[in-house]
Amino acid sequence: MPDATRTVAGVNSPTALIARPDAVALDLPTGSGEAVIRALHARLAALPAVTDAAGFLDDLLERATVSSVCIAADVALPHARTGAVSGIVLAVGRAPGPVAFDANHPGVRLVFMIGTPKKQVTEYLQLVAGLSRLLKKDGVRAALLAAPGEADFRTVLARGLPG
Amino acid sequence: MKTAADPGEVFLRRVLRLLRWRLWLTDRLQLTDWQKTLLWAALAGFLGALASLIFRAFSEGVHEFLTGSSAGVVESMRYLPWWACLTVPAAGGLLAGLVLQFGKKLTREQSSTDYMEAIVIGSGQLPVRASLVKSGAALFSIGSGGSIGREGPMVQLAAVVASAIGRRRRFTPPQQRLLVACGAAAGIASAYNAPIAGSFFVAEIILGSIAMESLGPLAIAAVVAALTVRVLTNAAQLYQVPAFRLGSPWEMGPYVLLGLLAGAMAPWFLRSLRNAERVFVATQLPLTLRLGLGGLLVGAIAVWRPEVCGNGYSVVVDILNGSIRGIAVLGFRQIWLAVLVILACKWIATASSFGSGAPGGVFTPSLFMGASLGYLFGTAVHNVWPAGAADPRAFALVGMGAFLSAASRAPVMAVIMLFEMTLSYDIILPLMLCSVLAYYTAKGIEEQSLYSEALKRKAAEQPATGLPPGRVADLMKADPPVLADTARFAEIARMFLSVPVNHLYIVDAERRFVGVVSLHDIKPYLGEPEVAELMLARDILHEDFPRLASDETLSEALGSFLGIAAERLPVVDADGRLLGSLAKGDLLLTLVEKRKMIAAA
Repeated sequence: MPDATRTVAGVNSPTALIARPDAVALDLPTGSGEAVIRALHARLAALPAVTDAAGFLDDLLERATVSSVCIAADVALPHARTGAVSGIVLAVGRAPGPVAFDANHPGVRLVFMIGTPKKQVTEYLQLVAGLSRLLKKDGVRAALLAAPGEADFRTVLARGLPG
Repeated sequence: MKTAADPGEVFLRRVLRLLRWRLWLTDRLQLTDWQKTLLWAALAGFLGALASLIFRAFSEGVHEFLTGSSAGVVESMRYLPWWACLTVPAAGGLLAGLVLQFGKKLTREQSSTDYMEAIVIGSGQLPVRASLVKSGAALFSIGSGGSIGREGPMVQLAAVVASAIGRRRRFTPPQQRLLVACGAAAGIASAYNAPIAGSFFVAEIILGSIAMESLGPLAIAAVVAALTVRVLTNAAQLYQVPAFRLGSPWEMGPYVLLGLLAGAMAPWFLRSLRNAERVFVATQLPLTLRLGLGGLLVGAIAVWRPEVCGNGYSVVVDILNGSIRGIAVLGFRQIWLAVLVILACKWIATASSFGSGAPGGVFTPSLFMGASLGYLFGTAVHNVWPAGAADPRAFALVGMGAFLSAASRAPVMAVIMLFEMTLSYDIILPLMLCSVLAYYTAKGIEEQSLYSEALKRKAAEQPATGLPPGRVADLMKADPPVLADTARFAEIARMFLSVPVNHLYIVDAERRFVGVVSLHDIKPYLGEPEVAELMLARDILHEDFPRLASDETLSEALGSFLGIAAERLPVVDADGRLLGSLAKGDLLLTLVEKRKMIAAA
């Protein structure tokens, strides 16, 4: 099986995508999945790649209502393939307490939000697979949850994610 | 992460593993639509050969039952008492008529059993029961010594088998027609042990095209059929003949005359068959009695000249080897006259069998006519100018090719067939010359060939079905497998496992086409259930996948296939609702057919 993330390079690599100062938020609200999505969306809304912030938010929320966006008990990947972005955007957050994303996932703590242009199916799959592999690694989720500050959090991410 | 014991996850992992296996196989085999067509052609070839062999065995069994002899038809007739010689073909005709009569009650299908018709002006569908009834009747007319070829029914049966395969696999009409053509090629290849001629016969005479789209599958079917027959029966070339060669360049002069003569005689032979048919119909006898009368006439001639019975194969072999039984010891004049008498008697006998409606072919009897004509001509030339025809048997061989070329209007096939049936390459120069001259001479005398007249008449009777489709809607396959845009990854994987496609069509709640999910996209992630669990069809959809409008012309549709690695495209109506899909293979086949029809027009 080829390592799909190896082909992710340049601006579409997860490391590059979260290099921006506002791409990581460790103070997500704990109210609901929607609140978390809105909070992370606010960090992406001003990016030049987001051409229609309101449309992007609608698509994210709509996708989350159609089917679960969680890949583990404590990890959610809200995502949308949307015409509201011109390039892939990624924001990562951590909630101080459990967030109920849906009925089956009441204890989400780590959230990775992805927006992808409609045409970039391959890149989108590569990014999701890369994140999924990172979060499967022993101790990565625990380290992300235990990271005392943003710098440590970013270090754990950077160590795990391909360049 | 979820535990491995979760039944949903276990199921998903299993489906993904199966899909990985399928992809592993697909990657290595890489079967395109054309390669699949070749595989079906090979199957049609194999089964067609088996059908031919079974028919041959049955016809020999019927012959043994009716004559009490397991020898060849002519041999058996030679040793029968005169009254048996007279009655056996008549009884065979009556039995054939009874089979056809009772068979009518068993078969309600109205469509024609003629494979050429099914390919040229039909949809490739051949009724199985009606064809079996016709073949059953042919067993009696052939087994009883009727002057008719058994190869025709063998080819017919092989084509029926191919048609049944296509119907079972729900092939589209162009695919179905091509598969029936493959069955016919297989039938000819197995009947004459001539795979190249089998392919070219169908390509040249029936399809009217030697484009690789059709010739490739025909060749595969013919090769597999010939191989099957060779393995199962140790068959060698059909006519074992001495090595013929061109004695001197002077011989080309008489060969030119032979080509002209064969070309002039073939149309008369065909006309006589049609006239005999009219005469028998004019008697207004019931079919059974008509067939019995035809058999009686053959029997009456056979009392005197048993060589007229059967397809004429053994007599042709004797002529080519210069050892005509019973007359070889005679002088030149007597031999010449004896062959002339046999030729005339065979002509009348074939007209009687064919005219009475006996099911069977006239392909091999045509070879008989050509061989006799060539031998007579060669012997006559040899007698007055030995250097002009050093070996009259070579003229018999060339005469076969020339006559076949003139009767079938397929000179390429005739040359190849003669070469394959005799493996006499040294005679190729006069054979080519004579075949071409005979073709043009016959064409100048009469436009119709052995096969074209009936087809043209039937095409005129039902012009609508003969027209190839002009719009996408005419050619599309309805109801392709679809998924909703909310389908989960497991459903997508399951669908990819159950249908051999590379793109799954995704529709919305109103069945409007929204895009495709590509197998290529998801392939790298089949080992990652977490990714699979997260994805819906809409997440990995290609919305910009080309689609065809149902009212587009086929030429416009062809343009949509350019620049995209897809074997089929979705077809939508004006509101974007998915109606079906159009396969590139069907489109190309149909465009070839259209080109042929335009050229013919």
